[in-house]
Amino acid sequence: MRPVTVYPRGEGAIASARGLVKVYGSGETAVRALDGVDVDFANGELTAIMGPSGSGKSTLMHCMAGLDTVTSGTVVVDGEDVARLGQRGLTRLRRERLGFVFQAFNLIPTLTAEENITLPLDIARRPVDRDWFDTVVDAVGLRDRLDHRPGELSGGQQQRVACARALVSRPAVVFADEPTGNLDSRSSSEVLGFLRHSVDVLGQAVVMVTHDPTAASYAHRVLFLADGRLVGEIVDPTPESVLDALREIGAGRRAPEPALAGAAPALVGGVAGGLR
Amino acid sequence: MSRVALRGIRSHLGRFLLSILAVLLGVAFVAGTFSLREMMADTFDSIVEAGTDADVYVEGAELAGGGTPMGGQQARFPLETAETIAAADGVAAAVPGVQGAIVLVGADGTAVLNNGAPSFGLGLHPDERALWVADGRAPSGPDEVALESAALERAGLAVGDTTKVVLAGEVRTVEVVGELGFAAPMAGAIMVGLDWDTALAAYAPDGLTTGVAVYAEDGVSERALADAVETALADGPAAADVRVLTGDEMRAEMAEQWQSALGFVSTFLLVFAGIALFVGTFIIGNTFSMVVRQRQREFAMLRAVGASPTQVFASVLAQAGVVGVLGSLLGVGAGVGLVELLRGVFAGMGMELAGDVPIDTFTVAVSVLVGTVVSLVAALVPARRAALTAPVEAMRDEVATHDRASRVRTGVGAVLLAGGLLAVVVATTGVVTENRGALLGAGAAAILVGVLALAPAIVPPVLGGLAAPVVAGVRPLGALARGNVTRHPKRTATTAGALMVGMALVGAASVLAASAQASVRDVVDNQARTDLILQSATWDVPAALVEDLPQVDGVAEVHALRIAQATRVDGEDLALIGVPEGFFTEVLEVPVDAGDATDLAPGQAVAQASDAEERGWAVGDELTVEGIGGTTRVRLAAVIDSGVLGLPLVVEESDFDAVAGPGASVIDSVFVKAAPGADLADVRAGLAELAEPYVVVSIMDAEEYGDAVAAQVNQVLVILYALLALSIVIAVLGIVNTLAMSIAERTREIGLLRAVGLGRLQMASIVTIESVLTAVFGTVLGIGVGAGLAATMTRVFADEGLNRLAVPWAGLGVLLGLAVVVGVVAALWPAARAARMNVLEAIAYE
Ligand SMILES: Nc1ncnc2c1ncn2[C@@H]1O[C@H](COP(=O)(O)OP(=O)(O)O)[C@@H](O)[C@H]1O
Ligand SMILES: [Mg+2]
Repeated sequence: MRPVTVYPRGEGAIASARGLVKVYGSGETAVRALDGVDVDFANGELTAIMGPSGSGKSTLMHCMAGLDTVTSGTVVVDGEDVARLGQRGLTRLRRERLGFVFQAFNLIPTLTAEENITLPLDIARRPVDRDWFDTVVDAVGLRDRLDHRPGELSGGQQQRVACARALVSRPAVVFADEPTGNLDSRSSSEVLGFLRHSVDVLGQAVVMVTHDPTAASYAHRVLFLADGRLVGEIVDPTPESVLDALREIGAGRRAPEPALAGAAPALVGGVAGGLR
Repeated sequence: MSRVALRGIRSHLGRFLLSILAVLLGVAFVAGTFSLREMMADTFDSIVEAGTDADVYVEGAELAGGGTPMGGQQARFPLETAETIAAADGVAAAVPGVQGAIVLVGADGTAVLNNGAPSFGLGLHPDERALWVADGRAPSGPDEVALESAALERAGLAVGDTTKVVLAGEVRTVEVVGELGFAAPMAGAIMVGLDWDTALAAYAPDGLTTGVAVYAEDGVSERALADAVETALADGPAAADVRVLTGDEMRAEMAEQWQSALGFVSTFLLVFAGIALFVGTFIIGNTFSMVVRQRQREFAMLRAVGASPTQVFASVLAQAGVVGVLGSLLGVGAGVGLVELLRGVFAGMGMELAGDVPIDTFTVAVSVLVGTVVSLVAALVPARRAALTAPVEAMRDEVATHDRASRVRTGVGAVLLAGGLLAVVVATTGVVTENRGALLGAGAAAILVGVLALAPAIVPPVLGGLAAPVVAGVRPLGALARGNVTRHPKRTATTAGALMVGMALVGAASVLAASAQASVRDVVDNQARTDLILQSATWDVPAALVEDLPQVDGVAEVHALRIAQATRVDGEDLALIGVPEGFFTEVLEVPVDAGDATDLAPGQAVAQASDAEERGWAVGDELTVEGIGGTTRVRLAAVIDSGVLGLPLVVEESDFDAVAGPGASVIDSVFVKAAPGADLADVRAGLAELAEPYVVVSIMDAEEYGDAVAAQVNQVLVILYALLALSIVIAVLGIVNTLAMSIAERTREIGLLRAVGLGRLQMASIVTIESVLTAVFGTVLGIGVGAGLAATMTRVFADEGLNRLAVPWAGLGVLLGLAVVVGVVAALWPAARAARMNVLEAIAYE
């Protein structure tokens, strides 16, 4: 693990943060979820964010995506200063330049897969680019499932629909918060394979939170977060290097978080499963 | 378990708030009705008490039913009887009652018409005790009057002012010389005190009275006095015509008359309350369904740790009980407030009511019982579902977000609907002739309940259709909104049901009213051969005016239509119409079913077809007609079918006079024909000039007359609009309730939509579209059922004068527009809530 690379003015980055601080609550009960984070997410790269539970991964994502307000520091996404945007501006930012994939409840149950995929475009009243739509749908392999409602799709298929939805509006960045958190290893690899594909082939920038070292190994770069601070990064990770890095962080902390402790055995199975 | 139930209520009070409000509204009406009734009864009791202070009453024998408390439709007997009575043992004074209708002109020059409350003139006997002179002095001579305090205030007059009255059909200029005191609030009635001789001349020209109030000497009991009076009258000529009552008996009799009049009012109000509660059950049922759904996992958990289905069932019902009791208690309070408010409104309209708003244990007990039972019944089905939760569902990850119409419910609904339709078809096509109205009523009820039961099954297709324009027009919001209302067909159907019931009633009423108006207008247009018609706001055109009418330039003929209420035909109490000879050739050309109506001569009568059929009268039959004036026999000359004459039997003027007796009939309408070639506008101006001093007389041509009759139908509609308003209020509550709860259920979805770029306004629009769709669905269904059924009624009730079907499309369109407004209003708060929902909280995953 090496120190996190930060470009002086975030050159080449599609999204970057400087001195990002997020404090929940005040006084005695105040929680410093982010404690001075400087980070750049590069265009055309799949970045993974890892760290113990409660280390601020989701908070970082939410602040980067304008879903949450920051206490101090700046966030710039696709050249736009997120802190300066009002409600309307944030809504437009999300609608036009960001894509989201959540851990669960990604789809509107009353809409078909196709309607869910085109939802951001429909909301923005933008025409659907049929070629791009076909490219994305074929990439996720859902061509024959387009008329199905979410209830009729498996968990993996649902997450792939969510990925397709995140990509269909050609956003500047896709933020995915534990997109494979609820999936078995086979479905996970489908979704992760597709995310990597979208970066490599379609040129998309993707930021993904995960606690699974195997998932992280799909990324170009893995960032490690602990107690609201970025503590290091690995470029071109493998499951083993990620696991080592996690052990390093765990040793640096007095009491490892249970979630992280739980993640390790699961990972052994993942590795034993013989990916790559 | 009871602890679980109570905690559940306390921690989710918000969820139950609207249920409590629904119970509150219904119960407020129940409690309000009871206490309003109490209060009115108190008021009238005090009037009876104050106005009926004598020890014995000698009353004219009951002549015909339908007597009114104030008027007294009784046989009359000679005034001199009072002297015989005064001579009896123990009598201090005997005061004959001489009273009748009067029109008082107020300070503003218009008649004092107090919202239908009676105006009456009263002869002030020297021994009068119920009234006293509070200010000024008693009137003496025909040019003076004294006014009861409330009448004085209402008229805007003061002692010493000069004004006019219309007395015995004549206009008189009089001076107000005094103010009269009365021991009770008058409840709006206008009382004018007259000099004794003036009153005698006006109200008892034949020297007859309807009753004598007898006061006892000190120490003589009511009973003893009554016996003495009876003995004194025994040999007299009037013995057969009078009844002797003690003061207590008289007061009881009058109180009874009031009670039955009030009984009608409270029945009517209780119907409102019933509808409010019925519709309220929809809200409560929906709330509990949703709460049970949200707590499915909790119930499964309880079951898993050993709670029996009965315990779970009881815990849900216990919550319903708490909601019911809480809502009921608040409802009783609201009811009292409502009545207090009404009292203020009544007082503002010049109808003072007595006493405090009464609230007794009976009212509280009944109200709480009704509210609680309604709430429990509404929660039965959800409670059963909660009880049947399988313990394994605790392990399930996601709670189902759909419901489906139940087979049983749909089946029952279909059977009811089919049965109801069959009954209506049978009733309308005349397969049966007996009890068609009842059959139609039963069929209508079955159809309404059937549609309510079927509603969940028809939500998807019908709402899908209704939503099509929105789905196409407002992408993608319309599709999202449609998905939200159709994924819970039961919930949507129940929510819409509240509005459906009200809209069905109003839809039916408006079709009926339009048809009735069209029928009347049809009749007026086709049958009336007259140029101008005179009517009075007091329902009695002054006789003196009628006498003078022929003198107006250009007037060729004057026909007065008179009505006597206190008459009997073959022993049955029936009001009677009297018209001059030639009425059916000159004024009204009626469709004749049998016989010949054109030569209605003395000794002959004409009957309305539906009434004749009912009583088995046929042309040539002899009928005995009796009234205050006497008895005569008439031969039925014709059976007619006219919607203009609202009463069963018409006789010729001379027979009418012989039967009705002087002073016991009113001139309902006067029909005027102009001479050929006369300018109608001039004739009208001449008539208007003559009628002007009488203040209350209006002159109409045939068209305006039709309008006036139609306007009466509209007054009935006003009551139905009140009903509509009530059901709308409750329906709005229901929609707000459902929306608020389903938004809470959909928190995650909303967060997701907002995260992928849905704006706040767009979010609010989705909720608003859902709301409008629900409201329009309920309205379309309600109007369809109500108006459809009403349309069939014209076939069943054609005989009763409802022979034209008119569908008030514009009015129904307004109702539909109203539904949209209702939807938008109901969505205001839930939409704001959905729009303001925190995106992060919504997507947070624990
Ligand atoms: N809305 C909130 N209010 C208060 N504290 C919060 C809130 N959201 C997150 N936190 C706290 O901030 C810290 C970081 O949370 P989060 O970013 O969700 O961690 P992670 O996603 O890495 O598990 C945690 O200590 C958490 O308790
Ligand atoms: Mg997280």
